[in-house]
Amino acid sequence: MSSKINGHVSPQPCPHLLVFRSRNGPKPFRALQDCIRVKPPGGRAAIRREPTEVPRCGTCEESSRSRLYACVACAAVFCHAPLLHSHASDHSLSIPGHEIAVDVDRAELFCCACGDQVYDRDFDAAVVLAQTVNATATTSTSGSTAMQCSVAGSQPENLRKRRRVDYRPWEPDSGEHISRGNQSIPLLDAANASLVSSTQQPWGLRGLNNLGNTCFMNSILQALLHTPPLRNYFLGDRHNRYYCQQKNGAINGTKNSRLCLACDMDALFSAVFSGDRTPYSPAKFLYSWWQHAANLASYEQQDAHEFFISMLEGIHEKVEKDKRKSQSPAGSGDCCIAHRVFSGILRSDVMCMVCGFTSTTYDPCVDISLDLEPNQGGSGKSSSAKSLNSFNVEADCMRPNQNCGISTLKGCLERFTRAEKLGSDQKLFCQKCQVRQESLKQMSIRKLPLVSCFHVKRFEHSSIRKMSRKVDRYLQFPFSLDMAPYLSSSILRSRFGNRIFPFDGDEQDASNDLSTEFELFAVVTHSGRLDAGHYVTYLRLSNQWYKCEDAWITQVNESIVRAAQGYMMFYVQKVLYYKESENQGTS
Amino acid sequence: MKHSVNRPPTPDAAEDQGKEPTLQEIINVKLIESGEKERLMELLRERLIDCGWKDEMKALCRAHVKKKGRNNVTVDDLVHLITPKGRASVPDSVKAELLQRIRTFLMSAAL
Repeated sequence: MSSKINGHVSPQPCPHLLVFRSRNGPKPFRALQDCIRVKPPGGRAAIRREPTEVPRCGTCEESSRSRLYACVACAAVFCHAPLLHSHASDHSLSIPGHEIAVDVDRAELFCCACGDQVYDRDFDAAVVLAQTVNATATTSTSGSTAMQCSVAGSQPENLRKRRRVDYRPWEPDSGEHISRGNQSIPLLDAANASLVSSTQQPWGLRGLNNLGNTCFMNSILQALLHTPPLRNYFLGDRHNRYYCQQKNGAINGTKNSRLCLACDMDALFSAVFSGDRTPYSPAKFLYSWWQHAANLASYEQQDAHEFFISMLEGIHEKVEKDKRKSQSPAGSGDCCIAHRVFSGILRSDVMCMVCGFTSTTYDPCVDISLDLEPNQGGSGKSSSAKSLNSFNVEADCMRPNQNCGISTLKGCLERFTRAEKLGSDQKLFCQKCQVRQESLKQMSIRKLPLVSCFHVKRFEHSSIRKMSRKVDRYLQFPFSLDMAPYLSSSILRSRFGNRIFPFDGDEQDASNDLSTEFELFAVVTHSGRLDAGHYVTYLRLSNQWYKCEDAWITQVNESIVRAAQGYMMFYVQKVLYYKESENQGTS
Repeated sequence: MKHSVNRPPTPDAAEDQGKEPTLQEIINVKLIESGEKERLMELLRERLIDCGWKDEMKALCRAHVKKKGRNNVTVDDLVHLITPKGRASVPDSVKAELLQRIRTFLMSAAL
């Protein structure tokens, strides 16, 4: 309903406005022009018969309502509050030809019959003229050229609806200069750029002191500190610990309310990325985590994976209370940063062997725990962790059915997504047969997380035999991993062949959002026995590998990493993995 | 064409001439006459822009217009849409500041 006149789009008048114009001569709003009052602060135009008039609704005497309209035909003022009562509408209905009114506080035309603002070029011209005249009256220009000057040149102060400050590029004041000097470290020392690249360690590498068997915590923290989306979240000040504590402290003064693992994470990120290379003691973090996971609070060695899970829960718990987003679907990751980064969705299909009925369930997960099966192939060759030649075998073992005796991560994932016949002692209830039947179960990945964490089940706790043992078997893992074969869509396709599935539309959003390629960025390794072991984390930064062993960080060759005994492997979506160029010195 | 603008409206037959003005009305008139209401309105406008309230309401309106179509939305629709949300989302600090100003004004006006 708009037309272009001279390149300007102007709204078409409503039928009532057209009728009004046709009935009231060439300048129907001329009389209103005398009533336009422009207030100097801001230059707003209002309609008042007398400058000091207090407009009042003719029907109900209300003067404090926000929308008062004066009928253009008879100058009567009425209120308009469509939900309560609209005396303006009543008036327009009672007398034909009185549909057009003007908002007394905004000088805008309104059609009471249409319930909408209408525009008239002559009226708008009159308002602009009044505002311009007012503007020139208050500026110090003189003579008849005043109007031309103020209109042609920059807009005078009170024609602007809002006070605006002219743009000035930011310059630090003296106080800011000083604090910049004291607390800043130059990111790149331009003078020594060429010397810096080879000797300088990347940002965010800082040793963590062992506070008493806390290598389980240090190793996980090192991995999390370099998880790209998590690092970006905290370094981007998305969880400001000062603001969070202020907010929580205000609500509830007790100590418990100020426990926030996310705040402690924020403090940790600040400390580790500060540029200070001296080892840091995450004592506050440990204390907070003890308060959160009271059952694990001791100086005994804990399981790193258990710590990882409990940490994610801790972050989720606190942030969820703030945001109140518990209604979001599980696995969508909308609830907190921990889930946004790590949460994926697993699909489980259980097929009845008798009737073929398949029941499907979806469960969110923050990591995937993989079994280390005994060696396949009869060679009996034990793959020792020290065997540096093992990664050469990868070229020969491209296909899973070529058993070379080496366990690989891909092999574990294949096993994980393989259709598994549940034994006769594990019969599941089939809805169609209405009785427990032998079933076939198959897992697949419905939705990939941003960061995939693979946990290798190396610690076997047998409650029957009342003993635990550690599986030391070497597991080979790739630096780049394509998760496509383990997605639900791939698994189903391999199960049924190329068919048109009724749930195809369902699967779409799972795989086409992000790619399926992942890059390894952190490996948590365990060495030693179950009761006396040591965790070490290897981090991959700018394609260099660094060994993080509590307070000691050293650069290592990638072959060392490949040979290490992986316990937890962290892969990030390739699109989120920034590969810095090798030459840091070049500008 | 009638120069009806200059003529005061005919008194409404239902007008009760013996009706006492309410306290709210008295205050409102005093605010307007002294020009304080205009200043308060300007202050409020400034604060609501600063805290992003205006942008929020604008976004709400835009979304609504996008959904309904440019030609199917009236001013009344938009007012109906944003009034409850707008009233609810005014920051407390803004309310407090304006109340304080009004209180100060009332104390000075009462003297």
